Amino acid sequence: MRSYELQDVPQPNLIESIFPYTLPPLITFEGPIHETIDGAEVEFDPRDVTTRDIHITDTTFRDGQQARPPYKKEQMVALFEMMSRLGGPNGVIRQSEFFLYTKNDRDTIDACRALNVKFPEITGWIRANKADFRLVKEMGLKETGMLTSASDYHIFHKQNQTRQQAMDQYIGVVEAALEAGIRPRCHLEDVTRADLPGFVFPFVQKLERLTENQPDNMKVKIRLCDTMGFGLSYPNAAEPRSIPKLIWRLRNECGIAPDRLEWHGHNDFHKVHINGATAWIYGLNALNTTLFGFGERCGNPPLEGAVMEYIALKGGLNGIDLRVVTEMVDYFENVIGTHLAPNYPFVGKDFNTTRAGIHAGGLRKFEQIYNIFDTTALLNRPPRVSITDKSGTDGVALWVNEFLGLKGDERLSVMKVAKIQRWVMDQYEIEGRMSSITDQELEEQVKVTLPEYYEKRRAK
Amino acid sequence: MTRQEIADRVINTTARELKMNASDIHETDSFAEDLGADSLKSIELVAAFEEEFDLSVVEEDALKVQSVAGAIEFFDSLINHQ
Repeated sequence: MRSYELQDVPQPNLIESIFPYTLPPLITFEGPIHETIDGAEVEFDPRDVTTRDIHITDTTFRDGQQARPPYKKEQMVALFEMMSRLGGPNGVIRQSEFFLYTKNDRDTIDACRALNVKFPEITGWIRANKADFRLVKEMGLKETGMLTSASDYHIFHKQNQTRQQAMDQYIGVVEAALEAGIRPRCHLEDVTRADLPGFVFPFVQKLERLTENQPDNMKVKIRLCDTMGFGLSYPNAAEPRSIPKLIWRLRNECGIAPDRLEWHGHNDFHKVHINGATAWIYGLNALNTTLFGFGERCGNPPLEGAVMEYIALKGGLNGIDLRVVTEMVDYFENVIGTHLAPNYPFVGKDFNTTRAGIHAGGLRKFEQIYNIFDTTALLNRPPRVSITDKSGTDGVALWVNEFLGLKGDERLSVMKVAKIQRWVMDQYEIEGRMSSITDQELEEQVKVTLPEYYEKRRAK
Repeated sequence: MTRQEIADRVINTTARELKMNASDIHETDSFAEDLGADSLKSIELVAAFEEEFDLSVVEEDALKVQSVAGAIEFFDSLINHQ
């Protein structure tokens, strides 16, 4: 057994190379990952995400809209514009897909185009039939996704087809796309429950042969749709659920380059974000997401989570403006009227709010103890405390100092806020209160017990 | 201010805050164990001492004070020796 000796250092080791605080914590790897495929060991080097052109694609207005009341045109245009600023000029958020079926869908695309932003590029989504394809041509889109269901659940029980009939239909629509100069993106629906060697790989290889003589910007793209959230990130999980094996075979046995592979997940088993990140790490470039994870049933990979993962993997912002995430939250809550779960990471009202007195004490002493990164600078969201009978005098002091905008030596001690804390405790111990103290109530207490500070804040 | 004056004011303030008779409070008493002051009451006591002596004290130093004698020494040091 290796023996470890205590290193009683004079200065703390905050491991800032991984936890820089000015960025989300970085994800770094120390070596390759090994996977057993067909009895042989294959190697993945996760460090190549730092050089590969990994990026985010968006389906907020397609899959994201299938799970909620439709957005109004002006709402989609506003969110699209914000998405463009969030992803930045380097196209970290590279594409966004839209329905094409209604006049409102098509008017929205026109309005988004009128913004004249470089990214996200607008793509379409259609079923795999030639009639739908007319819409893509009419809208003048360069790329469209098309539904090409991959599992026998869909082929046999939904489409009432044989595998050959399904493949022939899909190939026909892809050929029509190529003839019209539109790049096809085949959405392999339910791929994590499909017979991979019996249908998926032969289909993909046939697609590859179809476009092998096409210029790079016309080669077929493959979207891996984990329709029911069955995909697994674990090393050496069995096929067809294994994400590593699926990506390896598509790249090495079917010849699909990483820039033509995309992951589209669902959250039925709470795996949606990590499965998306796994797909990036194991060798595909595009991660398909929706804003705040809204999507069919349990949702899709949250766009804002993917943005954080991108920064953590790349080690930098690459033009991303995270403050726009908070703008989007405000827009959702105040304009669209959709309230996000308070504990939802990065965006919920309470994502960096503590109610525990001991955590509030830590925050007062050194913010980094209980704040995940500099949320004030990056997200425009300072860490907050919500006051209950459990938040302690430290919590009240933190709230009051934040409210009064006091910094450093100006900050009030717990003694100065003791009267407010006594009032808080009386609410619970004497009045039998069961809810949190509201910001308005605390403000009133500041006004009563610390009038000189309250007036100074008002004057500011 | 003499040490005795400081001691009298610490004991009277403690008695007022804890709603006790001053004669029942001794210098050897611990605020928590002997006089029953919980963490919030201990903070309120320090706040009351600040008002009594018209001083602002450093939070971390003040909250280390555990006993009546400790409070007397703390304020005697602040008032007479700094």
